[in-house]
Amino acid sequence: MADRIIFVGILVLAGVYFWATSQIPTLEIGDPLGPKAFPRLLGVGLLISAAMLLAEMIKERKAAPETNEPEEKEDTSTYKIVAGVVVATGIYFALFEVLGYAVSTMLFLLVMTAYFNKGKWWTNVLTAVLYSFISYYMFSSLLGVNLPRGIAPF
Amino acid sequence: MDTLNHILNGFAVSTMPINLWYTFIGVFLGTIIGVLPGIGPSAGIALLIPVTFGMNPTSALIMMCGIYYGTKYGGSTTAILIRTPGEAASVMTSIDGYEMAKKGRAGAALAVSAIGSFIAGTLGVIGLTIFAVPLSSMALKFGPAEYFTLMLFAMTAVSTLTGKSPAKGLLATILGLMIATIGIDLQSGQARYTMGIPEFQDGVGFVVVVVGLFAVAEVFRGLEDIYKGTGAQTMKITGKLWLTKEEWMRSIGPIWRGGIIGFIIGVLPGAGGTIASIMSYTTEKRLSKHPEEFGHGAIEGVAGPEAANNSDTAGAMVPLLTLGIPGGGATAVLMGAFIMYGIQPGPLLFQNRPDLVWGLINSMYIGNVMLLILNLPLIGIFVQLLKIPSGILYPLIIAISVIGAYAINGSMTDLYLILIFGVVGYVFDKIDIPVAPLVLSLVLGGMMEQSFRQAMTISGGHPKIFFGSVITVTLIVMSVVSILLPFILPMLKKYKEDGKDE
Repeated sequence: MADRIIFVGILVLAGVYFWATSQIPTLEIGDPLGPKAFPRLLGVGLLISAAMLLAEMIKERKAAPETNEPEEKEDTSTYKIVAGVVVATGIYFALFEVLGYAVSTMLFLLVMTAYFNKGKWWTNVLTAVLYSFISYYMFSSLLGVNLPRGIAPF
Repeated sequence: MDTLNHILNGFAVSTMPINLWYTFIGVFLGTIIGVLPGIGPSAGIALLIPVTFGMNPTSALIMMCGIYYGTKYGGSTTAILIRTPGEAASVMTSIDGYEMAKKGRAGAALAVSAIGSFIAGTLGVIGLTIFAVPLSSMALKFGPAEYFTLMLFAMTAVSTLTGKSPAKGLLATILGLMIATIGIDLQSGQARYTMGIPEFQDGVGFVVVVVGLFAVAEVFRGLEDIYKGTGAQTMKITGKLWLTKEEWMRSIGPIWRGGIIGFIIGVLPGAGGTIASIMSYTTEKRLSKHPEEFGHGAIEGVAGPEAANNSDTAGAMVPLLTLGIPGGGATAVLMGAFIMYGIQPGPLLFQNRPDLVWGLINSMYIGNVMLLILNLPLIGIFVQLLKIPSGILYPLIIAISVIGAYAINGSMTDLYLILIFGVVGYVFDKIDIPVAPLVLSLVLGGMMEQSFRQAMTISGGHPKIFFGSVITVTLIVMSVVSILLPFILPMLKKYKEDGKDE
């Protein structure tokens, strides 16, 4: 099932890529190939991978002819958890320049450890506070990495 | 004579106090990264690139290579004590190593993997020293057409050898090349596929892609495991950290064989450490007088694969340094590091910067000695790292990735990109699309297009140039064979079986 979606996905992507390639303006000077030739080759490569995938799908079907086995049911709640982590990380990034590196990182670590390392309040709070401020000091002062200060008072 | 001078000079470079220090930092960090599940050599090196910017390139590269081969040492510790490979290539070690630990022989398992890694790692560096000069002088004759076909072969080999499906491997390769075409085209000055995002004019940075695919995606998978409650129990180090005479006698053969297998697999593009260790494991099982012990704590099953995945790293440095073409994901990241320091690995580097090349190669001898010390008498310190609850470790890896990604340009686009590539990496893992080919082709993409266009310019726009020399034709044939092989092999097998029936 997943392979069928990938197959359609490749075809759609190839279509979009060929279209986007045709949109690149070209000047007929200098190199004979221009900026479009190599991408066109890649588009063809994409179609080859789609053809190979189709061949593999047919081979698999021949090997295991429609046993009609019930599709493995994955627990959808795990995907919800991963989606939650993605959203939390997105919020962390959105607040990154507003609150600054240290404060936003501390909040992110507090929220994440509160869920994934449940019940160990002392360890979690200590890790979040110490890591975010010490790493801020280390990277911005000692290694000269430019991290946003945000609302941190120092 | 000249070469011998360069090699000796290299020792002078690699024993400079500053470089000894960075070798140490590299292998130390490598061991940590290897021990910690969830972060591997690719992500580790990529995260360090922006932070070490402005350092002397020789020292920086010595350090990053130290991380690369150091992770192989650390990875075995996690494999033995919690049956989770700390690094993908130690997956075979986790079978018999963990069984040994259950039987109270964790000390012996750790010892044999450290000693085996050291012997094979050193063997690999000797091989690298021997092959470097002849290969690099051969590569000096390569023109753009030869380079293009060589990259084509590296990519097709990686496509078909990593992951379960060659089609998906090829898909990953093409996706990497497509990402590489984003940004201003260097020859015509045209912006391509920037989707109106100004940050994309410089292209999508490979550090961002690697951090997303290898670190952030790994965090998503790890947190998913915590939620599902599939965390493993950590074993205590039991038994002396040394081998009995019988164990030693049983291990020495597998270490030598594993070392040689690993080096050869390492030099060839595509296969890499995981396949090297699987091959060593199956070889030892076949040669063994008591194959039934494999899977139940056979020391040969730890010694061989550990040796193989360590000499593999030295073998993989051969094409990277001599040809300037990496043969796998982690060496592709190393190549990206070279380029970010303004250094183009390849045959010319041996002529122009022998101090750097030989300083780097010779630092690997020293690094292996340091690793033996870190991973044998001092292993207890690193085992403490396994006590960090993964519920804290994984969120911290995101926070570390943020520093690495933001440090490149101070750009929010890069932060959102690591999140996007993190999701992509997580989804790709679920649907069996390998990410190593994508990273390789992303790093090589720009070079590949340039050599393609240069070759076509030389030939006046006719593709016959790619069939113009023995080297290009051989490489093209090898590329085609590596794509068709997964389809041909089963057919041949079937043909043979049908023949038998009659």
